Amino acid sequence: MRSIFLKDMAYRRARVVLTAIGITVLVALILALGGIMHGMRIQARQFVESTGATIWISSEGSGGAFIGFSMLYEEYMAPLHHAQGIKPKSMSPLVFAQARPIIHGRPSKAIVVGYQQGKLGGPTRVLEGSMFTPSRFADYRPEDPLPLEVVVDERMNLEIGEQITIGGEKLKVVGKSESLMFVLDTPLLFMDVRTAQKVLFANYPSVNMMIAKATERFSPADVAGNLDEDGTIEVRTLKQTLDDIIETYVTEPMKAVMFLRVMLWLASGILVAMITYVTTLEKTQEIGVLKAIGASNGYVVALIIKQVALMSVIGIVGGVILSYGFAVAAPIFVKIHLGESLVVAFISFLVCCGSGYLAGRKAIAVDPMVAFRGEI
Amino acid sequence: MAVVVEGTGLTKHFGQADAAVVAVDTVDIAIEEGELVMLMGDSGCGKTTLISLLGCILTPNAGSLWVDGQLIDYVSQDMSAIRREKIGFVFQLFHLIPYLTAIENVMIAMSIAGTKGHEAETRAKALLTQVGLESRLEHRPAQLSGGEKQRVSFARALANNPKIIFADEPTANLDSRQSENLMHLVRELRQEHKTTIAIVTHHEGLKKDADRVIQMKDGRITSS
Repeated sequence: MRSIFLKDMAYRRARVVLTAIGITVLVALILALGGIMHGMRIQARQFVESTGATIWISSEGSGGAFIGFSMLYEEYMAPLHHAQGIKPKSMSPLVFAQARPIIHGRPSKAIVVGYQQGKLGGPTRVLEGSMFTPSRFADYRPEDPLPLEVVVDERMNLEIGEQITIGGEKLKVVGKSESLMFVLDTPLLFMDVRTAQKVLFANYPSVNMMIAKATERFSPADVAGNLDEDGTIEVRTLKQTLDDIIETYVTEPMKAVMFLRVMLWLASGILVAMITYVTTLEKTQEIGVLKAIGASNGYVVALIIKQVALMSVIGIVGGVILSYGFAVAAPIFVKIHLGESLVVAFISFLVCCGSGYLAGRKAIAVDPMVAFRGEI
Repeated sequence: MAVVVEGTGLTKHFGQADAAVVAVDTVDIAIEEGELVMLMGDSGCGKTTLISLLGCILTPNAGSLWVDGQLIDYVSQDMSAIRREKIGFVFQLFHLIPYLTAIENVMIAMSIAGTKGHEAETRAKALLTQVGLESRLEHRPAQLSGGEKQRVSFARALANNPKIIFADEPTANLDSRQSENLMHLVRELRQEHKTTIAIVTHHEGLKKDADRVIQMKDGRITSS
């Protein structure tokens, strides 16, 4: 004889299926929200790490390279080129700013990255087309003609030779770089630092930050600490910068999402608790009969827990599969970790079984005398 | 003859203080092995409460109970174990599990008592054959007539070789022909299994089959 709990589930299959679907959706949402956060973390890191810089310099009071408003006048940074612990010729100016380029006639979102070709801050080669023409950076004169060229992300729907508009200036797409999206799939537009100053800072020769490499003889933390003591600039290591950027772009804005994840877990528990509780109430007479013919409390609770466990497993497995499907189809970068999926699945299972246990406690309280009354 | 179930001074009341209703009032009763006892009386006189006390479903407020020679200790003993090992129940409304077939409804009682698999299946088949339902093994309760459901009920009650079967108004939902067939079955079961049976009934026509008729009124036994 197939187990009674399976027969019962087959008998009440509509309820079982709906409960499992409910769990599936909730688990998928929990994992998808986690996946979105992981995706944001990865994207927040990948540009910073790709630069190869270990020292990040921003203006005093900015709170860090990507945190507050930072403007540096590059010429005033000249002494830093020879600072102790800074690798020779590694000090590089960097513009990193949000922009609203007009692409195909429509405003879009992107981040302009202005850097000096051959220095830190951007790609050294392109996948297609060519790099932008470098400016005469060291010899700045506002009236000098600038190469209004841009290298775009390979995943942007742009072809070589097309034009985009930023700050009223038309820039020609000359190359496509390997995809390096920033948080929430924001594409990066790489251009010469002078071009970035032209289109974003009204041709004013400022940069948002300076980046450099520490020499092997000094630890980046020591170099950053020494430079920071100067009091006119803020200097961070790569690790500090990554921590800052993740805190600012992911952790802080996603606090509400993390709260929502906890709420979804609670919702899963409440969903299962409500359905199993109502089902238990509905089965009061049946449980009473089982108890009257000798079923122990353990037998009755096990019956309910087995049903909840099976429903939960089906729902959770469905949720994990659905979340991976969502990660593939989502319009933003979503990265679901297998380890986290297992943890979420385990916690969800415990929450659901805990709820089922509450219904089981209700079943224990059923008086077998009900068998002498009414119909099943 | 050995006494299968004996109660002395059994009392059961429901509710508290002034609102308390005495359902069974200091009842002394003994049922001997192999007896067919009918409990009769008006509605609300305490018949069902009494068999619930004797069947270890209810705990009395006062009095003592012996089942199969063993004094029941309501504090330390597992009542469900006594019910599954020594007692069988037949209910007025059959109370078969709707999603189980006839044979599964019998096997579930065995499964609760720890008998499973082929042994349970063979015994359940034998019991259902004995109650004349060999062609209905795989039918669900909804596919059975009232009389057939009650036969499955009796087979389920016999599943674990109980010392006594308590049947609560087993013919109340059956027509006269089905009632007669059921009582014929009860007679056969007594002959073959030497089962002790206590039946609660309003049906005066069943008296003729009883070894003893116990009359109840207002929670007390008036004649035995």
